[in-house]
Amino acid sequence: MILRGLVRIGQTLVVLLIVSFATFGLLKLAPGDPVQLALGAEYSETAYRSLQREMGLDQPFLVQYLAWARDFATGDWGRSYVARTDIFTFAVLEALPVTLTLASLSLFFAILIGVPLGVLSAVKKDSIFDAGAAVFALTGTAFPSFLLGILLIWLFGVKLGLFPVMGYVSPWQDPVTGLYHMVLPALTLSTYFIAMITRLTRATLIEVLEQPYIAAARARGEPRWRVIWVHGVRNIAMPLVTILGLQLGTLLQGTVLTETVFSLPGLGQMITDAVLSREYVVVQAGVMLTATLFITINLLVDLSYPFLDPRLRAR
Amino acid sequence: MDKAELKKAFLERMSAKMGRRAVLKGMGAGLIAAGGNGVFPGIARAQQSGHIRIASIKVIDTLDPHFTGFLSSIQIINNIHNGLLKITYDGEEVRFEPDLAKTWELEDDRTHLFKLRENVKFHDGTPCDAEAVKFSLLRVKEGEPESPHAWKLEQLEEVEIVDPLTVRLHFSQANAFLPVALNGSTGRAGTIVSPAAVEKFGQDYGRNPVGTGPFRFVSWRENDAIELEANPDYFEAGLPKLERATFVLMNEASTAVAAMISGQIDGMTDCPMQLVPQIEAFPGANLYGEIEGNYTFLGMNNQRAPFDDINLRRAVAWALDRETILAQSYFGRAIQAYTPISPPMTKFYDPDIATSGRGQWFDLEKAKQFRAQAADQGEVQATYMMAERGPVGTRVAQTVAPMLAQIGIRANLELIEPATWVQRRNAGDFDLYDFEWVADLDPDEAIYPEFRSDGAWNYCGWQNADFDQHCADAQVTLDTEERRRLYYAAEDLLMDEAPIAIMAHMPIYKVFSTKVDGFQYIPADLVNLHSVSLTG
Repeated sequence: MILRGLVRIGQTLVVLLIVSFATFGLLKLAPGDPVQLALGAEYSETAYRSLQREMGLDQPFLVQYLAWARDFATGDWGRSYVARTDIFTFAVLEALPVTLTLASLSLFFAILIGVPLGVLSAVKKDSIFDAGAAVFALTGTAFPSFLLGILLIWLFGVKLGLFPVMGYVSPWQDPVTGLYHMVLPALTLSTYFIAMITRLTRATLIEVLEQPYIAAARARGEPRWRVIWVHGVRNIAMPLVTILGLQLGTLLQGTVLTETVFSLPGLGQMITDAVLSREYVVVQAGVMLTATLFITINLLVDLSYPFLDPRLRAR
Repeated sequence: MDKAELKKAFLERMSAKMGRRAVLKGMGAGLIAAGGNGVFPGIARAQQSGHIRIASIKVIDTLDPHFTGFLSSIQIINNIHNGLLKITYDGEEVRFEPDLAKTWELEDDRTHLFKLRENVKFHDGTPCDAEAVKFSLLRVKEGEPESPHAWKLEQLEEVEIVDPLTVRLHFSQANAFLPVALNGSTGRAGTIVSPAAVEKFGQDYGRNPVGTGPFRFVSWRENDAIELEANPDYFEAGLPKLERATFVLMNEASTAVAAMISGQIDGMTDCPMQLVPQIEAFPGANLYGEIEGNYTFLGMNNQRAPFDDINLRRAVAWALDRETILAQSYFGRAIQAYTPISPPMTKFYDPDIATSGRGQWFDLEKAKQFRAQAADQGEVQATYMMAERGPVGTRVAQTVAPMLAQIGIRANLELIEPATWVQRRNAGDFDLYDFEWVADLDPDEAIYPEFRSDGAWNYCGWQNADFDQHCADAQVTLDTEERRRLYYAAEDLLMDEAPIAIMAHMPIYKVFSTKVDGFQYIPADLVNLHSVSLTG
């Protein structure tokens, strides 16, 4: 078990190494000059060289990468040369909590709405309700979140005045206002996932409901809600969790647009700005965080299988 | 709960969002200042009230006036710092007037004498005296790392401290551009910073700015907000009127408009032209905006075929239907430009430019005549690089391409990412591109570095020795009449040889809620909150 854990950590480190090198290389290959962008229109040749030296960009590629990797590993994440702020503070202490809050709340909405909707569709298969849910799910997956966000802002923020349209308040400091500010962004981001979970729940549950053990449960005279919610839904947990883990990438990708529309100071906005201004070190920090997050969640998904399926515990 | 109640509940929660600040406000405004640096405010504090929240939509790079390259930063910097001079506007004329200086005299054409105001202190309590002025000017001129605005003080030979409140600046030549160099749009070479703060924060000064301005810096949360609070010891009597100002950093202008309409913010530092109708239709907001110091153009690469051919360039310059461009690309809000000098350069802009016969405009017949003289009589292929950037994105390119087709130029539109666009423009790797150039309010900065044969921003690579000479002469000519004559001559050469086809001068908009009073609009993209107050 300990050995397996160590292997797992080793794998993670190798993946992170590959990810960091690939990001660094791809950014360098992309045209665009960070010094030019940082200086704006008015600068002289010496100012250019002075800043280039300060950024360490006068060094060869591998030297830059190794210097970055060394500093990063030792906890010195460097400074943003545009914002001149400490990257660790910016990325980990400021931006990451925003994105985590947004992503987890979206996931929460997705499960809270998606699973019951899917279950109902499966139980009432081929009914009007099922057809309605299918239309909703298709629209939900097809709707661009950017547009949806703006529409939600106009309806709930401006026309009805129900929710704030922008800004971030930490839910850890002020839970009510914090969550209140997150409702619209989380709803925007979760639409796609609500739809996806609805379809997935419906499809897998229909299959499960045809299994012999469901028939057996019914034969034992268990009430209908118990047959569906205990015997049925428990058995779709595994595919659901697996898909959610894999879809985390899509979720994090979605935070980029959502954060921009709702003006949330999260990782998505940080990485986008950094890519546009070619701030290599900031992009690196963002990508490393995202990669770590992705790997960790999938590790947790793996670890959750024995809890979800007792048959896996014996092995 | 009906709609009105929900709205009320929302507003209450919104004020709860401001939690700690709101509590402090309730306990008496003085406490806020006490929390700031321990100085208990005097009577002056009593008149400061209100907390304004303004959306800032563009990038803020640094709050260090000597290093920023962005007007959006200057908008905030200008509330924290003062310059030797400032820009004023009375609705008709733009002027440069003493700010930290009490008087500004020209002893001869190369020697400027500034007498400073007495008892002005930086926010850290240190005095703003001749030493601080010398320190700031030299920081721009020869500091390390080098300021991108160092060139503006290139001709500054010596800063002589006459007495603690008097400085004499010696220049190597007469410098007509000086007032603008000292407070031009992005390069505020004359902005005075606290030497003690620069000493203390070093490279981090840009995140800990300390000036003499009406507001002092409180905090900067990345991608979130920049907070300022009133400087109770500000030297202009009765100012500032606000107690606190928050610049909310946003990426998406349409969200800012929604926040404006739902009352979450009180103003916007910028409102893109396409969103202006929404603001106009909203009774709770006032729109401020006039044509500012800028010109938009279609740039041609003079260094390589096909546009090294002067006749082909002239054909392009006369083939662009400006009225259509104004309507379709600039939402009918810009005005036609005939030459680069724009209306707010009040001493140099020609009010009769539309009829004077100077510059370029749309004349298809003339364009076709020039086209007929071009070397290449077949269909000319040209790479037009465009990017989703600036106020109009790719609209100009899409409008212009069919106009070029009329004179046998096939523009191959290439959509590229903004960072790549900048790099390719600077490297001269294009045939055509369009851009909106923002200029300081003086003809020198508007055309000289842009079109001088070896100019830093001469991306089109146009060369003309006469043009260079006219501009160089104008730089050392202090007589306005004579200077204007020289610039007109330079512009006439420029427009005739057409390295660019000039298109428009654009308005730049600001928005404030009707609860906001006293905003003084200055056509240099400034958001000075000095005299702003909040009612209701």
